[in-house]
Amino acid sequence: MTVVDQMAPGARRIRGRGRAADVVSRWAFMAPAALLLLAVLAYPIFYTIQISFAELDLGTFTATEWVGWDNYLTVIEDERFWNSLEVTGIYLVLALPLQMVLGFGIAFLINAEWKGRGLIRALFIIPMVVAPVVAGGVWRMMLDPLWGLVNYWMGLVGLGPFDWLGDPKLAMITIVIIDTWRWTPFVTLIATAALLSLPRDVFEAAEIDGANWWTTFWSITLPLLVPIIAATFVVRWLGAVKMFDIALAATNGGPGRATSVINLFIYEEAFRSLKFAESAAMAVIVLVITMVLTAVFLRGTRKLEGMY
Amino acid sequence: MSATLTLAGRRRKRPIGRYVRIAGGITACIMFLFPIFWMVLTSFKMPRDIFTTPPTFFFTPTIETYTSYLQHADIPNRMLNTVIVACGAGLISIAAGSMAGYALARIKVKGLATMGALILLSRGVPPIALAVPMFLVARNLGLTDKHITLILAYCTFLIPYVMWLMRGFFKALPEELEESAMLDGCSRFGAFFRIIVPISLPGLLSTLIFSVILAWEELLFALVLTNRYASTIPVAIAGIAGDSVNGANWGALTAVGTLTVLPVVVFALLVQKWLIKGLADGATKG
Repeated sequence: MTVVDQMAPGARRIRGRGRAADVVSRWAFMAPAALLLLAVLAYPIFYTIQISFAELDLGTFTATEWVGWDNYLTVIEDERFWNSLEVTGIYLVLALPLQMVLGFGIAFLINAEWKGRGLIRALFIIPMVVAPVVAGGVWRMMLDPLWGLVNYWMGLVGLGPFDWLGDPKLAMITIVIIDTWRWTPFVTLIATAALLSLPRDVFEAAEIDGANWWTTFWSITLPLLVPIIAATFVVRWLGAVKMFDIALAATNGGPGRATSVINLFIYEEAFRSLKFAESAAMAVIVLVITMVLTAVFLRGTRKLEGMY
Repeated sequence: MSATLTLAGRRRKRPIGRYVRIAGGITACIMFLFPIFWMVLTSFKMPRDIFTTPPTFFFTPTIETYTSYLQHADIPNRMLNTVIVACGAGLISIAAGSMAGYALARIKVKGLATMGALILLSRGVPPIALAVPMFLVARNLGLTDKHITLILAYCTFLIPYVMWLMRGFFKALPEELEESAMLDGCSRFGAFFRIIVPISLPGLLSTLIFSVILAWEELLFALVLTNRYASTIPVAIAGIAGDSVNGANWGALTAVGTLTVLPVVVFALLVQKWLIKGLADGATKG
Protein backbone atom coordinates (compact mmCIF):
# COMPACT_ATOMS: atom_id res chain seq x y z
CA MET A 1 0.00 0.00 0.00
CA THR A 2 2.82 2.38 0.77
CA VAL A 3 3.91 2.01 -2.79
CA VAL A 4 0.68 3.59 -3.87
CA ASP A 5 1.20 6.55 -1.55
CA GLN A 6 4.67 7.21 -2.86
CA MET A 7 3.55 7.33 -6.44
CA ALA A 8 1.43 10.39 -5.85
CA PRO A 9 0.40 11.55 -9.34
CA GLY A 10 -0.95 8.30 -10.65
CA ALA A 11 -2.60 7.27 -7.43
CA ARG A 12 -5.09 10.05 -6.93
CA ARG A 13 -8.12 7.91 -7.57
CA ILE A 14 -7.04 5.34 -4.98
CA ARG A 15 -6.22 7.94 -2.37
CA GLY A 16 -9.67 9.42 -2.86
CA ARG A 17 -11.16 6.36 -1.26
CA GLY A 18 -9.24 7.10 1.91
CA ARG A 19 -7.18 5.04 4.27
CA ALA A 20 -10.15 3.62 6.14
CA ALA A 21 -11.33 1.75 3.08
CA ASP A 22 -7.82 0.46 2.63
CA VAL A 23 -7.60 -0.90 6.17
CA VAL A 24 -11.01 -2.50 5.73
CA SER A 25 -9.92 -4.21 2.55
CA ARG A 26 -6.79 -5.54 4.25
CA TRP A 27 -8.80 -7.26 6.94
CA ALA A 28 -11.49 -8.27 4.49
CA PHE A 29 -9.10 -10.80 2.99
CA MET A 30 -8.62 -12.42 6.35
CA ALA A 31 -12.19 -12.10 7.60
CA PRO A 32 -13.91 -15.14 6.02
CA ALA A 33 -11.23 -17.58 7.19
CA ALA A 34 -10.91 -15.94 10.59
CA LEU A 35 -14.65 -15.90 11.26
CA LEU A 36 -15.16 -19.47 10.09
CA LEU A 37 -12.29 -20.75 12.19
CA LEU A 38 -13.47 -18.77 15.18
CA ALA A 39 -16.79 -20.58 14.98
CA VAL A 40 -15.68 -24.11 14.14
CA LEU A 41 -12.17 -24.23 15.63
CA ALA A 42 -11.67 -21.70 18.43
CA TYR A 43 -15.12 -22.12 19.95
CA PRO A 44 -14.96 -25.95 20.11
CA ILE A 45 -11.53 -25.79 21.75
CA PHE A 46 -12.90 -23.37 24.31
CA TYR A 47 -15.90 -25.64 24.82
CA THR A 48 -13.66 -28.70 25.29
CA ILE A 49 -11.76 -26.88 28.01
CA GLN A 50 -15.04 -25.93 29.65
CA ILE A 51 -16.38 -29.50 29.59
CA SER A 52 -13.11 -30.82 30.96
CA PHE A 53 -13.74 -28.90 34.17
CA ALA A 54 -17.39 -29.83 34.43
CA GLU A 55 -19.77 -32.68 34.86
CA LEU A 56 -21.71 -33.55 31.76
CA ASP A 57 -25.39 -34.37 31.97
CA LEU A 58 -26.05 -37.25 29.61
CA GLY A 59 -29.74 -36.39 29.47
CA THR A 60 -29.28 -32.98 27.94
CA PHE A 61 -25.68 -33.34 26.73
CA THR A 62 -24.72 -30.07 28.37
CA ALA A 63 -22.12 -29.21 30.97
CA THR A 64 -23.74 -28.78 34.34
CA GLU A 65 -21.66 -28.60 37.45
CA TRP A 66 -18.19 -27.15 37.76
CA VAL A 67 -15.97 -29.84 39.25
CA GLY A 68 -12.53 -28.26 39.09
CA TRP A 69 -9.70 -30.66 38.34
CA ASP A 70 -11.71 -33.81 39.11
CA ASN A 71 -11.83 -35.05 35.53
CA TYR A 72 -8.12 -34.51 35.16
CA LEU A 73 -7.40 -36.44 38.34
CA THR A 74 -9.56 -39.33 37.16
CA VAL A 75 -7.74 -39.38 33.86
CA ILE A 76 -4.27 -39.18 35.39
CA GLU A 77 -5.08 -42.14 37.60
CA ASP A 78 -6.30 -44.14 34.63
CA GLU A 79 -3.67 -46.66 33.59
CA ARG A 80 -5.23 -47.02 30.16
CA PHE A 81 -4.63 -43.32 29.45
CA TRP A 82 -0.92 -43.67 30.21
CA ASN A 83 -0.82 -46.85 28.17
CA SER A 84 -2.28 -44.97 25.21
CA LEU A 85 0.23 -42.16 25.55
CA GLU A 86 3.02 -44.74 25.67
CA VAL A 87 1.66 -46.60 22.64
CA THR A 88 1.41 -43.34 20.71
CA GLY A 89 4.96 -42.46 21.73
CA ILE A 90 6.30 -45.81 20.54
CA TYR A 91 4.45 -45.45 17.27
CA LEU A 92 5.85 -41.96 16.69
CA VAL A 93 9.41 -42.92 17.64
CA LEU A 94 9.34 -45.91 15.28
CA ALA A 95 7.35 -44.50 12.37
CA LEU A 96 8.67 -40.97 11.94
CA PRO A 97 12.42 -41.70 11.61
CA LEU A 98 11.66 -44.74 9.45
CA GLN A 99 9.52 -42.69 7.10
CA MET A 100 12.07 -39.88 6.90
CA VAL A 101 14.97 -42.22 6.11
CA LEU A 102 12.98 -44.34 3.67
CA GLY A 103 11.42 -41.27 2.06
CA PHE A 104 14.73 -39.54 1.39
CA GLY A 105 16.41 -42.82 0.45
CA ILE A 106 13.76 -43.69 -2.13
CA ALA A 107 13.86 -40.12 -3.42
CA PHE A 108 17.57 -40.56 -4.02
CA LEU A 109 16.86 -43.77 -5.95
CA ILE A 110 14.05 -42.46 -8.12
CA ASN A 111 15.92 -39.26 -8.93
CA ALA A 112 18.36 -41.21 -11.07
CA GLU A 113 18.06 -39.74 -14.52
CA TRP A 114 16.28 -41.88 -17.06
CA LYS A 115 13.25 -41.79 -19.31
CA GLY A 116 10.82 -43.28 -16.82
CA ARG A 117 11.67 -40.94 -13.95
CA GLY A 118 8.59 -38.74 -14.35
CA LEU A 119 6.31 -41.75 -14.50
CA ILE A 120 7.80 -43.36 -11.38
CA ARG A 121 7.46 -40.11 -9.49
CA ALA A 122 3.82 -39.75 -10.58
CA LEU A 123 3.06 -43.32 -9.52
CA PHE A 124 4.38 -42.57 -6.06
CA ILE A 125 1.44 -40.22 -5.57
CA ILE A 126 -0.99 -43.15 -5.59
CA PRO A 127 -0.41 -44.63 -2.10
CA MET A 128 -0.55 -41.09 -0.76
CA VAL A 129 -4.15 -40.58 -1.83
CA VAL A 130 -5.46 -43.95 -0.68
CA ALA A 131 -7.79 -43.30 2.23
CA PRO A 132 -6.02 -44.39 5.44
CA VAL A 133 -9.02 -46.47 6.41
CA VAL A 134 -8.77 -48.34 3.09
CA ALA A 135 -5.05 -48.79 3.65
CA GLY A 136 -5.71 -50.26 7.08
CA GLY A 137 -8.37 -52.61 5.76
CA VAL A 138 -6.42 -53.85 2.75
CA TRP A 139 -3.28 -54.45 4.80
CA ARG A 140 -5.33 -56.28 7.36
CA MET A 141 -6.42 -58.56 4.54
CA MET A 142 -2.88 -59.09 3.25
CA LEU A 143 -1.55 -59.80 6.75
CA ASP A 144 -4.30 -62.24 7.66
CA PRO A 145 -2.67 -65.20 9.46
CA LEU A 146 -4.72 -67.76 7.57
CA TRP A 147 -5.37 -66.47 4.06
CA GLY A 148 -3.08 -63.44 3.79
CA LEU A 149 -0.48 -63.47 1.09
CA VAL A 150 2.29 -61.90 3.19
CA ASN A 151 2.49 -64.91 5.50
CA TYR A 152 2.23 -67.25 2.51
CA TRP A 153 5.14 -65.58 0.76
CA MET A 154 7.25 -65.41 3.87
CA GLY A 155 6.51 -69.09 4.44
CA LEU A 156 7.99 -69.83 1.01
CA VAL A 157 11.37 -68.61 2.26
CA GLY A 158 10.95 -70.34 5.61
CA LEU A 159 9.83 -67.37 7.71
CA GLY A 160 6.88 -67.26 10.02
CA PRO A 161 4.04 -67.78 10.29
CA PHE A 162 3.62 -64.41 11.99
CA ASP A 163 0.52 -63.37 13.85
CA TRP A 164 0.71 -59.80 12.56
CA LEU A 165 -2.48 -58.58 14.20
CA GLY A 166 -2.81 -60.95 17.15
CA ASP A 167 0.58 -60.61 18.81
CA PRO A 168 0.76 -57.41 20.92
CA LYS A 169 4.34 -56.52 19.94
CA LEU A 170 3.91 -57.43 16.29
CA ALA A 171 0.63 -55.52 16.08
CA MET A 172 2.48 -52.27 16.77
CA ILE A 173 5.03 -53.14 14.09
CA THR A 174 2.11 -53.83 11.75
CA ILE A 175 0.63 -50.40 12.43
CA VAL A 176 4.03 -48.82 11.78
CA ILE A 177 4.36 -50.76 8.50
CA ILE A 178 0.93 -49.69 7.26
CA ASP A 179 1.48 -46.08 8.29
CA THR A 180 4.90 -46.10 6.65
CA TRP A 181 3.43 -47.51 3.45
CA ARG A 182 0.84 -44.75 3.42
CA TRP A 183 3.13 -41.82 4.29
CA THR A 184 6.60 -42.56 2.93
CA PRO A 185 5.55 -41.48 -0.59
CA PHE A 186 4.65 -38.08 0.84
CA VAL A 187 8.17 -37.67 2.22
CA THR A 188 9.60 -39.06 -1.01
CA LEU A 189 7.83 -36.49 -3.17
CA ILE A 190 9.03 -33.58 -1.05
CA ALA A 191 12.52 -35.07 -0.98
CA THR A 192 12.74 -35.55 -4.75
CA ALA A 193 12.05 -31.85 -5.25
CA ALA A 194 14.55 -30.96 -2.54
CA LEU A 195 17.30 -33.15 -3.98
CA LEU A 196 16.80 -31.68 -7.44
CA SER A 197 17.14 -28.16 -6.11
CA LEU A 198 20.58 -28.76 -4.59
CA PRO A 199 23.18 -26.41 -6.13
CA ARG A 200 25.41 -28.37 -8.47
CA ASP A 201 28.50 -26.17 -8.40
CA VAL A 202 29.25 -27.06 -4.78
CA PHE A 203 29.34 -30.74 -5.68
CA GLU A 204 31.50 -30.07 -8.70
CA ALA A 205 33.96 -28.19 -6.52
CA ALA A 206 34.01 -31.04 -3.99
CA GLU A 207 34.67 -33.53 -6.73
CA ILE A 208 37.54 -31.48 -8.13
CA ASP A 209 38.98 -31.31 -4.62
CA GLY A 210 38.87 -35.10 -4.55
CA ALA A 211 36.29 -35.54 -1.79
CA ASN A 212 35.03 -39.11 -1.49
CA TRP A 213 31.28 -39.79 -1.44
CA TRP A 214 31.06 -40.10 2.31
CA THR A 215 32.71 -36.73 2.91
CA THR A 216 30.53 -35.19 0.23
CA PHE A 217 27.42 -36.68 1.77
CA TRP A 218 28.32 -35.82 5.35
CA SER A 219 29.65 -32.29 4.88
CA ILE A 220 27.74 -31.06 1.84
CA THR A 221 24.55 -32.96 0.98
CA LEU A 222 23.31 -33.42 4.52
CA PRO A 223 23.89 -29.82 5.73
CA LEU A 224 22.20 -28.51 2.58
CA LEU A 225 19.23 -30.77 3.17
CA VAL A 226 18.87 -30.14 6.90
CA PRO A 227 16.30 -27.32 6.63
CA ILE A 228 14.12 -29.39 4.31
CA ILE A 229 14.47 -32.53 6.41
CA ALA A 230 13.47 -30.54 9.47
CA ALA A 231 10.50 -28.91 7.73
CA THR A 232 9.30 -32.25 6.35
CA PHE A 233 9.66 -33.79 9.78
CA VAL A 234 7.44 -31.11 11.33
CA VAL A 235 4.76 -31.60 8.68
CA ARG A 236 4.87 -35.37 9.11
CA TRP A 237 4.78 -34.99 12.90
CA LEU A 238 1.64 -32.84 12.65
CA GLY A 239 0.00 -35.60 10.62
CA ALA A 240 1.25 -38.51 12.71
CA VAL A 241 0.00 -37.22 16.07
CA LYS A 242 -3.49 -37.33 14.59
CA MET A 243 -3.21 -40.97 13.51
CA PHE A 244 -6.53 -42.68 14.03
CA ASP A 245 -8.00 -44.30 10.90
CA ILE A 246 -5.25 -46.84 10.27
CA ALA A 247 -5.32 -48.16 13.82
CA LEU A 248 -9.13 -48.29 13.80
CA ALA A 249 -9.32 -50.22 10.53
CA ALA A 250 -6.34 -52.55 11.02
CA THR A 251 -6.37 -53.51 14.69
CA ASN A 252 -9.06 -51.43 16.39
CA GLY A 253 -6.55 -50.77 19.15
CA GLY A 254 -5.93 -54.42 19.87
CA PRO A 255 -4.92 -56.99 20.74
CA GLY A 256 -5.79 -55.84 24.23
CA ARG A 257 -4.64 -52.22 24.23
CA ALA A 258 -1.40 -52.80 22.35
CA THR A 259 -2.19 -50.39 19.50
CA SER A 260 -4.71 -48.16 21.22
CA VAL A 261 -3.19 -44.85 20.12
CA ILE A 262 -4.37 -41.83 22.05
CA ASN A 263 -6.85 -40.55 19.47
CA LEU A 264 -8.49 -43.95 19.24
CA PHE A 265 -8.62 -44.28 23.02
CA ILE A 266 -10.21 -40.86 23.52
CA TYR A 267 -12.67 -41.62 20.72
CA GLU A 268 -13.75 -44.83 22.40
CA GLU A 269 -13.99 -43.29 25.84
CA ALA A 270 -16.14 -40.48 24.47
CA PHE A 271 -18.38 -42.17 21.95
CA ARG A 272 -18.56 -45.76 23.15
CA SER A 273 -18.36 -45.29 26.94
CA LEU A 274 -19.98 -41.82 26.79
CA LYS A 275 -17.44 -40.38 29.22
CA PHE A 276 -17.41 -36.98 27.58
CA ALA A 277 -16.00 -34.97 30.47
CA GLU A 278 -13.03 -37.29 31.01
CA SER A 279 -12.47 -37.45 27.27
CA ALA A 280 -12.43 -33.67 27.11
CA ALA A 281 -9.82 -33.61 29.87
CA MET A 282 -7.70 -36.12 27.96
CA ALA A 283 -8.13 -34.13 24.75
CA VAL A 284 -6.95 -30.98 26.52
CA ILE A 285 -3.88 -32.79 27.89
CA VAL A 286 -3.06 -34.14 24.43
CA LEU A 287 -3.64 -30.71 22.92
CA VAL A 288 -1.17 -29.13 25.34
CA ILE A 289 1.46 -31.84 24.80
CA THR A 290 1.09 -31.56 21.02
CA MET A 291 1.33 -27.77 21.05
CA VAL A 292 4.41 -27.76 23.28
CA LEU A 293 6.20 -30.38 21.19
CA THR A 294 5.22 -28.61 17.95
CA ALA A 295 6.62 -25.35 19.30
CA VAL A 296 9.83 -27.15 20.33
CA PHE A 297 10.16 -28.71 16.87
CA LEU A 298 9.50 -25.39 15.13
CA ARG A 299 12.15 -23.71 17.28
CA GLY A 300 14.55 -26.54 16.57
CA THR A 301 13.87 -26.12 12.87
CA ARG A 302 14.70 -22.41 13.06
CA LYS A 303 17.88 -23.14 14.97
CA LEU A 304 18.99 -25.77 12.50
CA GLU A 305 18.31 -23.37 9.66
CA GLY A 306 20.42 -20.75 11.41
CA MET A 307 23.29 -23.17 11.96
CA TYR A 308 23.69 -24.17 8.36
CA MET B 1 24.51 -39.59 -1.88
CA SER B 2 27.04 -37.66 -3.92
CA ALA B 3 25.57 -39.24 -7.00
CA THR B 4 22.50 -37.07 -6.40
CA LEU B 5 23.99 -34.59 -8.75
CA THR B 6 23.52 -35.53 -12.30
CA LEU B 7 26.87 -34.53 -13.65
CA ALA B 8 27.48 -35.95 -17.08
CA GLY B 9 31.08 -36.73 -16.15
CA ARG B 10 30.19 -38.63 -13.05
CA ARG B 11 27.59 -40.64 -14.87
CA ARG B 12 30.08 -41.75 -17.42
CA LYS B 13 32.51 -42.74 -14.71
CA ARG B 14 30.08 -44.81 -12.64
CA PRO B 15 27.26 -46.06 -14.80
CA ILE B 16 26.65 -49.08 -12.56
CA GLY B 17 25.58 -46.90 -9.65
CA ARG B 18 23.00 -45.28 -11.85
CA TYR B 19 21.53 -48.60 -12.98
CA VAL B 20 21.40 -49.81 -9.41
CA ARG B 21 19.48 -46.68 -8.48
CA ILE B 22 17.06 -47.06 -11.36
CA ALA B 23 16.46 -50.71 -10.46
CA GLY B 24 16.03 -49.78 -6.80
CA GLY B 25 13.58 -47.02 -7.68
CA ILE B 26 11.47 -49.33 -9.81
CA THR B 27 11.50 -52.01 -7.12
CA ALA B 28 10.39 -49.51 -4.48
CA CYS B 29 7.64 -48.30 -6.77
CA ILE B 30 6.35 -51.82 -7.40
CA MET B 31 6.41 -52.60 -3.68
CA PHE B 32 4.44 -49.49 -2.85
CA LEU B 33 1.88 -50.07 -5.58
CA PHE B 34 1.38 -53.76 -4.90
CA PRO B 35 -1.22 -53.44 -2.09
CA ILE B 36 -3.40 -51.33 -4.39
CA PHE B 37 -3.00 -53.81 -7.21
CA TRP B 38 -3.94 -56.62 -4.84
CA MET B 39 -7.00 -54.72 -3.65
CA VAL B 40 -8.26 -54.17 -7.19
CA LEU B 41 -7.52 -57.78 -8.10
CA THR B 42 -9.34 -59.14 -5.06
CA SER B 43 -12.38 -57.01 -5.79
CA PHE B 44 -12.91 -58.97 -9.01
CA LYS B 45 -12.72 -62.39 -7.34
CA MET B 46 -15.45 -64.78 -6.30
CA PRO B 47 -15.27 -65.65 -2.58
CA ARG B 48 -13.81 -69.07 -3.45
CA ASP B 49 -10.94 -67.30 -5.24
CA ILE B 50 -10.33 -64.95 -2.33
CA PHE B 51 -9.83 -67.66 0.26
CA THR B 52 -7.23 -69.86 -1.37
CA THR B 53 -3.83 -71.19 -0.46
CA PRO B 54 -1.68 -70.11 -2.18
CA PRO B 55 -3.25 -66.71 -2.85
CA THR B 56 -4.15 -66.78 -6.51
CA PHE B 57 -3.35 -64.32 -9.26
CA PHE B 58 -5.22 -66.19 -11.97
CA PHE B 59 -8.98 -66.61 -11.85
CA THR B 60 -12.10 -65.83 -13.82
CA PRO B 61 -12.83 -62.20 -13.05
CA THR B 62 -16.35 -61.29 -11.98
CA ILE B 63 -18.07 -58.06 -11.06
CA GLU B 64 -20.48 -59.88 -8.81
CA THR B 65 -19.13 -58.32 -5.62
CA TYR B 66 -19.73 -54.88 -7.07
CA THR B 67 -23.25 -55.56 -8.29
CA SER B 68 -24.44 -57.46 -5.22
CA TYR B 69 -22.85 -55.21 -2.64
CA LEU B 70 -23.89 -52.03 -4.37
CA GLN B 71 -27.50 -53.11 -4.43
CA HIS B 72 -27.80 -54.27 -0.85
CA ALA B 73 -25.85 -51.67 1.00
CA ASP B 74 -26.36 -47.93 0.88
CA ILE B 75 -23.04 -47.46 -0.86
CA PRO B 76 -24.32 -45.26 -3.74
CA ASN B 77 -25.98 -42.97 -1.23
CA ARG B 78 -22.83 -42.74 0.85
CA MET B 79 -20.81 -42.09 -2.28
CA LEU B 80 -23.06 -39.15 -3.10
CA ASN B 81 -22.73 -37.85 0.47
CA THR B 82 -18.97 -38.08 0.27
CA VAL B 83 -18.96 -36.14 -3.01
CA ILE B 84 -21.23 -33.41 -1.60
CA VAL B 85 -19.28 -33.03 1.62
CA ALA B 86 -15.81 -33.22 0.08
CA CYS B 87 -16.60 -30.75 -2.71
CA GLY B 88 -18.47 -28.39 -0.40
CA ALA B 89 -15.67 -28.33 2.15
CA GLY B 90 -13.05 -28.03 -0.58
CA LEU B 91 -14.74 -25.06 -2.26
CA ILE B 92 -15.40 -23.11 0.94
CA SER B 93 -11.86 -23.75 2.12
CA ILE B 94 -10.22 -22.76 -1.13
CA ALA B 95 -12.19 -19.48 -1.19
CA ALA B 96 -11.60 -18.48 2.42
CA GLY B 97 -8.14 -20.01 2.67
CA SER B 98 -6.67 -18.54 -0.48
CA MET B 99 -7.83 -15.03 0.44
CA ALA B 100 -6.32 -15.41 3.89
CA GLY B 101 -3.16 -16.86 2.38
CA TYR B 102 -2.94 -13.85 0.11
CA ALA B 103 -3.33 -11.51 3.08
CA LEU B 104 -0.49 -13.30 4.86
CA ALA B 105 1.76 -13.24 1.82
CA ARG B 106 1.25 -9.63 0.79
CA ILE B 107 -0.43 -7.35 3.27
CA LYS B 108 1.70 -6.24 6.17
CA VAL B 109 -0.29 -5.42 9.26
CA LYS B 110 0.92 -6.51 12.67
CA GLY B 111 -2.22 -8.16 14.01
CA LEU B 112 -2.64 -10.00 10.76
CA ALA B 113 0.66 -11.83 11.11
CA THR B 114 -0.19 -12.97 14.64
CA MET B 115 -3.56 -14.18 13.50
CA GLY B 116 -1.98 -16.04 10.62
CA ALA B 117 0.55 -17.68 12.92
CA LEU B 118 -2.29 -18.78 15.21
CA ILE B 119 -4.22 -20.31 12.35
CA LEU B 120 -1.15 -22.12 11.09
CA LEU B 121 -0.40 -23.35 14.62
CA SER B 122 -3.92 -24.78 14.68
CA ARG B 123 -2.63 -27.48 12.34
CA GLY B 124 -1.37 -29.08 15.53
CA VAL B 125 -4.79 -29.34 17.15
CA PRO B 126 -5.80 -33.01 17.42
CA PRO B 127 -9.19 -33.47 15.70
CA ILE B 128 -10.48 -35.49 18.64
CA ALA B 129 -10.29 -32.31 20.74
CA LEU B 130 -12.78 -30.79 18.28
CA ALA B 131 -14.89 -33.88 17.68
CA VAL B 132 -16.17 -34.11 21.26
CA PRO B 133 -17.54 -30.54 21.54
CA MET B 134 -18.75 -30.58 17.93
CA PHE B 135 -20.78 -33.68 18.61
CA LEU B 136 -22.31 -32.13 21.73
CA VAL B 137 -23.09 -28.80 20.06
CA ALA B 138 -24.41 -30.43 16.88
CA ARG B 139 -26.64 -32.68 18.97
CA ASN B 140 -28.09 -29.82 20.93
CA LEU B 141 -28.68 -27.74 17.82
CA GLY B 142 -30.16 -30.67 15.91
CA LEU B 143 -27.36 -30.53 13.36
CA THR B 144 -26.10 -34.11 13.55
CA ASP B 145 -26.26 -36.20 10.39
CA LYS B 146 -26.38 -33.18 8.10
CA HIS B 147 -24.02 -32.43 5.23
CA ILE B 148 -23.38 -28.87 6.35
CA THR B 149 -22.11 -29.99 9.76
CA LEU B 150 -19.51 -32.24 8.21
CA ILE B 151 -18.56 -29.54 5.69
CA LEU B 152 -17.95 -27.05 8.50
CA ALA B 153 -16.03 -29.64 10.50
CA TYR B 154 -13.72 -30.28 7.55
CA CYS B 155 -13.05 -26.56 7.23
CA THR B 156 -11.18 -26.76 10.54
CA PHE B 157 -8.28 -28.56 8.95
CA LEU B 158 -8.72 -27.58 5.30
CA ILE B 159 -8.64 -23.79 5.71
CA PRO B 160 -5.30 -23.77 7.57
CA TYR B 161 -3.96 -26.23 5.01
CA VAL B 162 -5.02 -24.08 2.04
CA MET B 163 -3.68 -20.93 3.71
CA TRP B 164 -0.34 -22.57 4.31
CA LEU B 165 0.00 -23.78 0.70
CA MET B 166 -1.35 -20.67 -1.00
CA ARG B 167 0.68 -18.27 1.09
CA GLY B 168 3.84 -19.83 -0.28
CA PHE B 169 2.37 -19.81 -3.77
CA PHE B 170 1.40 -16.10 -3.68
CA LYS B 171 4.72 -15.11 -2.14
CA ALA B 172 6.52 -16.48 -5.18
CA LEU B 173 4.57 -14.17 -7.51
CA PRO B 174 6.16 -10.81 -8.39
CA GLU B 175 4.55 -7.95 -6.50
CA GLU B 176 4.54 -5.70 -9.57
CA LEU B 177 1.53 -7.65 -10.80
CA GLU B 178 -0.96 -6.13 -8.39
CA GLU B 179 0.90 -2.87 -8.00
CA SER B 180 0.48 -1.92 -11.62
CA ALA B 181 -3.16 -2.97 -11.54
CA MET B 182 -3.80 -0.89 -8.45
CA LEU B 183 -2.07 2.09 -10.03
CA ASP B 184 -4.56 1.75 -12.86
CA GLY B 185 -7.37 2.19 -10.36
CA CYS B 186 -8.07 -1.36 -9.31
CA SER B 187 -8.84 -1.95 -5.65
CA ARG B 188 -6.92 -4.63 -3.81
CA PHE B 189 -9.91 -6.89 -4.28
CA GLY B 190 -10.05 -6.14 -7.98
CA ALA B 191 -6.34 -6.82 -8.30
CA PHE B 192 -6.69 -10.09 -6.44
CA PHE B 193 -9.63 -11.44 -8.40
CA ARG B 194 -8.68 -10.07 -11.83
CA ILE B 195 -4.91 -10.53 -11.79
CA ILE B 196 -3.77 -12.89 -9.05
CA VAL B 197 -6.50 -15.53 -9.20
CA PRO B 198 -6.29 -16.10 -12.98
CA ILE B 199 -2.53 -16.56 -13.01
CA SER B 200 -2.68 -18.76 -9.89
CA LEU B 201 -5.30 -21.09 -11.32
CA PRO B 202 -3.00 -24.13 -11.59
CA GLY B 203 -1.95 -23.72 -7.96
CA LEU B 204 -5.48 -23.06 -6.81
CA LEU B 205 -6.82 -26.03 -8.71
CA SER B 206 -4.26 -28.50 -7.39
CA THR B 207 -4.76 -27.20 -3.84
CA LEU B 208 -8.51 -27.55 -4.29
CA ILE B 209 -8.16 -31.11 -5.54
CA PHE B 210 -5.90 -32.05 -2.68
CA SER B 211 -8.31 -30.49 -0.19
CA VAL B 212 -11.19 -32.46 -1.69
CA ILE B 213 -9.08 -35.63 -1.36
CA LEU B 214 -8.33 -34.91 2.31
CA ALA B 215 -12.04 -34.42 3.00
CA TRP B 216 -12.93 -37.44 0.87
CA GLU B 217 -10.97 -39.84 3.07
CA GLU B 218 -11.67 -38.30 6.47
CA LEU B 219 -12.99 -40.75 9.03
CA LEU B 220 -13.13 -39.37 12.57
CA PHE B 221 -15.54 -36.45 12.09
CA ALA B 222 -17.68 -38.56 9.76
CA LEU B 223 -17.97 -41.28 12.40
CA VAL B 224 -18.87 -38.82 15.12
CA LEU B 225 -21.14 -36.35 13.32
CA THR B 226 -23.17 -38.60 11.04
CA ASN B 227 -25.03 -41.84 11.50
CA ARG B 228 -27.31 -42.67 8.60
CA TYR B 229 -28.49 -39.97 6.29
CA ALA B 230 -25.24 -38.07 5.71
CA SER B 231 -22.78 -40.87 6.39
CA THR B 232 -19.76 -41.19 4.11
CA ILE B 233 -17.81 -43.97 2.43
CA PRO B 234 -14.88 -44.14 4.90
CA VAL B 235 -17.38 -44.90 7.66
CA ALA B 236 -18.73 -47.79 5.59
CA ILE B 237 -15.23 -49.13 5.02
CA ALA B 238 -14.37 -48.90 8.70
CA GLY B 239 -17.54 -50.86 9.38
CA ILE B 240 -16.69 -53.59 6.88
CA ALA B 241 -13.06 -53.89 7.99
CA GLY B 242 -13.94 -53.92 11.67
CA ASP B 243 -16.80 -56.42 11.45
CA SER B 244 -15.60 -58.88 14.07
CA VAL B 245 -18.90 -60.77 14.18
CA ASN B 246 -19.06 -62.07 10.62
CA GLY B 247 -15.37 -61.63 9.93
CA ALA B 248 -14.22 -59.04 7.44
CA ASN B 249 -15.95 -59.34 4.07
CA TRP B 250 -12.90 -58.98 1.89
CA GLY B 251 -14.84 -58.85 -1.33
CA ALA B 252 -16.89 -55.91 -0.09
CA LEU B 253 -13.87 -54.25 1.47
CA THR B 254 -11.85 -54.35 -1.73
CA ALA B 255 -14.75 -53.43 -4.00
CA VAL B 256 -15.78 -50.39 -1.97
CA GLY B 257 -12.11 -49.57 -1.43
CA THR B 258 -11.49 -49.64 -5.17
CA LEU B 259 -14.49 -47.40 -5.83
CA THR B 260 -13.22 -44.96 -3.19
CA VAL B 261 -9.66 -44.85 -4.38
CA LEU B 262 -10.19 -44.85 -8.13
CA PRO B 263 -11.61 -41.33 -8.69
CA VAL B 264 -9.08 -39.85 -6.29
CA VAL B 265 -6.16 -41.50 -8.06
CA VAL B 266 -7.38 -40.24 -11.43
CA PHE B 267 -7.65 -36.66 -10.16
CA ALA B 268 -4.31 -36.83 -8.37
CA LEU B 269 -2.55 -38.09 -11.50
CA LEU B 270 -4.18 -35.36 -13.60
CA VAL B 271 -2.62 -32.64 -11.48
CA GLN B 272 0.45 -34.57 -10.37
CA LYS B 273 2.96 -32.01 -11.61
CA TRP B 274 1.39 -29.14 -9.68
CA LEU B 275 0.68 -31.39 -6.76
CA ILE B 276 4.33 -32.34 -6.31
CA LYS B 277 5.43 -28.75 -6.71
CA GLY B 278 2.81 -27.51 -4.27
CA LEU B 279 3.75 -30.12 -1.69
CA ALA B 280 7.43 -29.37 -1.99
CA ASP B 281 6.97 -25.61 -1.82
CA GLY B 282 4.50 -25.91 1.00
CA ALA B 283 6.91 -27.93 3.10
CA THR B 284 9.97 -25.83 2.43
CA LYS B 285 8.66 -22.30 2.05
CA GLY B 286 5.75 -22.59 4.50
